[in-house]
Amino acid sequence: MTKSLKEIFRYPSVVIGVMIIFLLIVVSIYTVITIPYSKAVQLWRGNEADWYQNPKTAAPVWYNWFRRDKLPETVIVTSDDPSVTKTIKDTNSGRIITMMVPVNFRYDSFADDMALYFKSEFEKNAPFIGLRWIYPDGKEIGIGNFSIDRKFTLRLNQDKKITNKLRGRVASQGLFINPDAENPNLPVKGEYFLKIEAITFDKTADVSAELVVYGQLAGWSGTDILRRDLGIALLWGTSIALMFGLLAAVGTTLSQMIIAGVSAWYGGWVDTLLQRITEINLVLPFLPILIMIGTFYSRSIFVILSAVIILSIFGQGIKTFRAVFLQIKEAPYIEAAKAYGASDARIILRYMVPRILPMLIPQFIVLIPSYVFLEASLAILGLGDPTLPTWGKIIQDAEAHGALYQGWYYWVLEPSVLLMITGLAFSMVGYALDRVFNPRLRDQ
Amino acid sequence: MVENQLLKLEDLLLHFRTTKGVVQAVDKVNFNLHHNEAVVVVGESGCGKTSLAKAILRLLPKNIQSYSGKIWLDEVETMAMNDEEYRKDIRWQKISMVPQAAMNSLNPVLTVGDQVTEPFMLHTGASKTEAIDQARKMFQYVGVPESFLNRYAFELSGGMRQRSAIAMALVTMPKLIILDEPTSALDVLTQANIFNMLKRLKQELEISFILITHDIATSSEIADKVAVMYAGQIVEVNEASGFFIEPLHPYSRKLMDSVPRLHGNKEPDFIIGRPPSLLNPPIGCRFQDRCPKSFNKCDQEPPMLKVKDHLVKCWLYQQAVETTHD
Amino acid sequence: MAEEELTLSAPEKSQKEIKNLTSATIIRVVKYSGVRLLSLALTVVVGLYLTILIANMGGYVDTIRLAQIREDVNMRMASNPAFRGLAAEERANLATEQIQSRAHALGLDRPFVIRSFNFLKHAITLNLGRAFNMVSNSGANQVRLIILERLPPTLILFATADIILFFIALFAALALSRQYGSFMDKLSVAMTPLSSAPGWFYGIFLILIFASVLKVLPFGGMVDSPPPPTTLGYLFSLLKHMVLPVIAITISSVFFSIFSWRTFFLIYSSEDYVDMAKAKGLMAKDIQNKYILRPTLPTIITSFALLVIASWTGAPIFETIFNWPGLGRALYQAVGLFDTPVIIGETVIFSYLLAVTVFLLDFIYALVDPRVKVGEV
Repeated sequence: MTKSLKEIFRYPSVVIGVMIIFLLIVVSIYTVITIPYSKAVQLWRGNEADWYQNPKTAAPVWYNWFRRDKLPETVIVTSDDPSVTKTIKDTNSGRIITMMVPVNFRYDSFADDMALYFKSEFEKNAPFIGLRWIYPDGKEIGIGNFSIDRKFTLRLNQDKKITNKLRGRVASQGLFINPDAENPNLPVKGEYFLKIEAITFDKTADVSAELVVYGQLAGWSGTDILRRDLGIALLWGTSIALMFGLLAAVGTTLSQMIIAGVSAWYGGWVDTLLQRITEINLVLPFLPILIMIGTFYSRSIFVILSAVIILSIFGQGIKTFRAVFLQIKEAPYIEAAKAYGASDARIILRYMVPRILPMLIPQFIVLIPSYVFLEASLAILGLGDPTLPTWGKIIQDAEAHGALYQGWYYWVLEPSVLLMITGLAFSMVGYALDRVFNPRLRDQ
Repeated sequence: MVENQLLKLEDLLLHFRTTKGVVQAVDKVNFNLHHNEAVVVVGESGCGKTSLAKAILRLLPKNIQSYSGKIWLDEVETMAMNDEEYRKDIRWQKISMVPQAAMNSLNPVLTVGDQVTEPFMLHTGASKTEAIDQARKMFQYVGVPESFLNRYAFELSGGMRQRSAIAMALVTMPKLIILDEPTSALDVLTQANIFNMLKRLKQELEISFILITHDIATSSEIADKVAVMYAGQIVEVNEASGFFIEPLHPYSRKLMDSVPRLHGNKEPDFIIGRPPSLLNPPIGCRFQDRCPKSFNKCDQEPPMLKVKDHLVKCWLYQQAVETTHD
Repeated sequence: MAEEELTLSAPEKSQKEIKNLTSATIIRVVKYSGVRLLSLALTVVVGLYLTILIANMGGYVDTIRLAQIREDVNMRMASNPAFRGLAAEERANLATEQIQSRAHALGLDRPFVIRSFNFLKHAITLNLGRAFNMVSNSGANQVRLIILERLPPTLILFATADIILFFIALFAALALSRQYGSFMDKLSVAMTPLSSAPGWFYGIFLILIFASVLKVLPFGGMVDSPPPPTTLGYLFSLLKHMVLPVIAITISSVFFSIFSWRTFFLIYSSEDYVDMAKAKGLMAKDIQNKYILRPTLPTIITSFALLVIASWTGAPIFETIFNWPGLGRALYQAVGLFDTPVIIGETVIFSYLLAVTVFLLDFIYALVDPRVKVGEV
């Protein structure tokens, strides 16, 4: 056995495959530890509170590595940042809080949107805000005067007054251009400032602000239409994919082995029954029945997993196991074991099972990706567990929003690539194991 | 070239590659066979008998390492022929084969009749009806009912399959048939029947046989000559009558001694040790380690010595006669 | 050479032998197919029953039947002048009475098991009820019609793809088995893991590359819309739309098939009877076809059968990705609309499809393998 193991690692495909699997397992464990399940589900609900800082359908930040003209990333500055200078001046009736928020814009194209999120504490009267925008060349314009509540959001691109002030251009563009430049359609790079002047009406009032300049890129994996960082689903998807694939494969293979073994050993009506059941299973349409179960009863991943296993046990794999068991059963050492009085259980466990392992292990490993893809298939059909962030769910969301038509390729490609890598890794290892354990071709 | 000579092997060599190294299965074999002569090639398992058959028939495995030597068949040197010439002119026309009595030698999805008529149609250009006629005749020779022409191999008993295989080997009327363990998987009665049939065929059709077997007893009935093979080499060639009474080579002696006798008290003998591996045959006489009569000269490979009409590859007989290169 | 004198038999006897052989084969195949058909029919019945059980665990089939009855009764009452004069409440009561008696007559208030048998009978006869929301192109809402309308596109696509797949894999596997260890051989073995991804997966990428980026092939659907008026135009449009799906199916399955069939060929070509064929001086082409291909064909057909079955069951998602108007996409739509009758009806039809596939391939298997006889598994 150890000799075979050494032999397998001579194949480069196995080495790569094992490394990838190892990585996937590490990522899964890491994910489950750092982002506990409940938190992941909570985040995946897509509440605004969790995701407001992300732009919608933004590509991942590493897109910029491949571009000469850099797309803007999301810039977030809060009033607590050290780069923000906050000065407070007391007046008779209250305070004047001045915040200078720096915005360092170094990109070659415009941001998508800008938003200011205010939070204030006050007793009776709401504070009054004055906003001024300072260009790198020192030019200043005023962009708004308004009063705010305890929580207030200003979406700059939707503010008509600002747009008018910027001669018809929305804030995320107008605030970054030089209207007199030769090409007024390119952003001017440099350090801008947003000057927030807050006038409060009691001495203890406070105002804090968060400026979000929504770029076209965000996060390591990009975001979807609900502003969710795809990374959550990609990471958790890894755990779920592996779990589903492994459990389904293990459940199916083990059950098949046991049933085939029993059937081959006892023969007679047990065997005939197995043949009949296998044939009936052949005629049952696997996916449509799963669809029925998912639609009518439950989409919980555990229900689906159980259904998958039950429907898979009597598939074709069991015939191969049975054939091998029948072969083994006729071997002389089995006869010898019976002669020395070994019990049925002992013969099955000690003699037959080890002989079937070389066949079973590669089959089991190659089976894993098919279940991973099955889980993704169900998700794409809309039957995935609606609370779980899985790879299939990402693809389903992407398809539902026409990602391929809209050019949001990353949304589809990232989960697809992960699926492919997982599939390839397990397959490569499985097929190589099969070649080593079961050399059916006479060697050179 | 001696008259009446059908087959002459000169330094025939067949080596093939395995993961463990190069197996020297047939190592410079020299041999003659005359028309209408039956020679039995005996030897232990693994001595290279089947490889010799394959070498003579040019049935080379995929992992061939070297194949050389000269084969004269009916005064035509066939090694020089390319594969296509060989296929058209030699295969099954001059020389055919009867395989071991295994289920596997007959195509399971073709009828037996189809397989018997195939080579006849191919090599003589006959029509299907003519070929079926010929097949029927052959079946009559070998004692298989005509209806079996339409049967499949799995429908036949072991004896019937072997007879059909012999009919198949006869159909093109070749001059030489090689039979590789033709009856080893059959019961003794069928064995006897088949050997009787072979004797009759040799008499009536004047065919030569090379009969490869480890069953010395049964084959003694039909043999004119006996060749003993050991570790990839032929170590003795003798007239059958002489051989069975008094074999010359120590190995042959031991072989004959190991056959149990029906009468008498003598217990069968056995040979100590194992035959040498064909991967790395020893230098010198290959039987040296197990030979009760080995002496210091055996460190060198003995030539094939001619003793009266016999050939022996053993230093013991050096004084007896001159070396011969036939 | 001396030959025994035999009574020469007339050539007609050989002709007769050939005929006997063919008719023997025909009889054997027919007998076998008959038995298989019966056994498959039984299997389908059991399979359908299981499907009904699963479907009806939540009472969904009951719902369909009741809805149908209700509709029937209401229609009857609306069209019957005798009832027109009645007050609304009276009519409603009458209707409920009728519905209940109908339901009782049809056994809908009987225990679960008996109800299931009832539905089974309907499923077998394809009496699948009326859809809740979906309609066929002609406006009918009978599930059977809806499904039968979607059947041809699915058949066209999958049958074509599977046939193409079969022949590509067969020839490639044969060719590769002749060059064991060559670069092409090693390359194809290395590509085997590509088969771990299903067809729809490659479909996404193909659509991305050829439709979205390169814009040379359509995103999906079966024909251009509006469909071309001429037959030739229609045919061309159909072919254009089939390119990507067929490629997707092929990429997913071909490498594994080539790998396993080439392995079969290699194993079967080291059989002793192949050596015998060589010794007999048969031409290489004959040896390949009669001694390697034909004995291996039964195994290949079994392997191919599994492939076809797998491709059928992947139809729902495959057709959805390609927007192909077949059974699979109909199922997807039905799920979205929660149109229970269609969902169940689709599952029934898929069951039949699978059974037909198994039967067809069993039939071909019997044709090819003379060892198959009635009574053997």
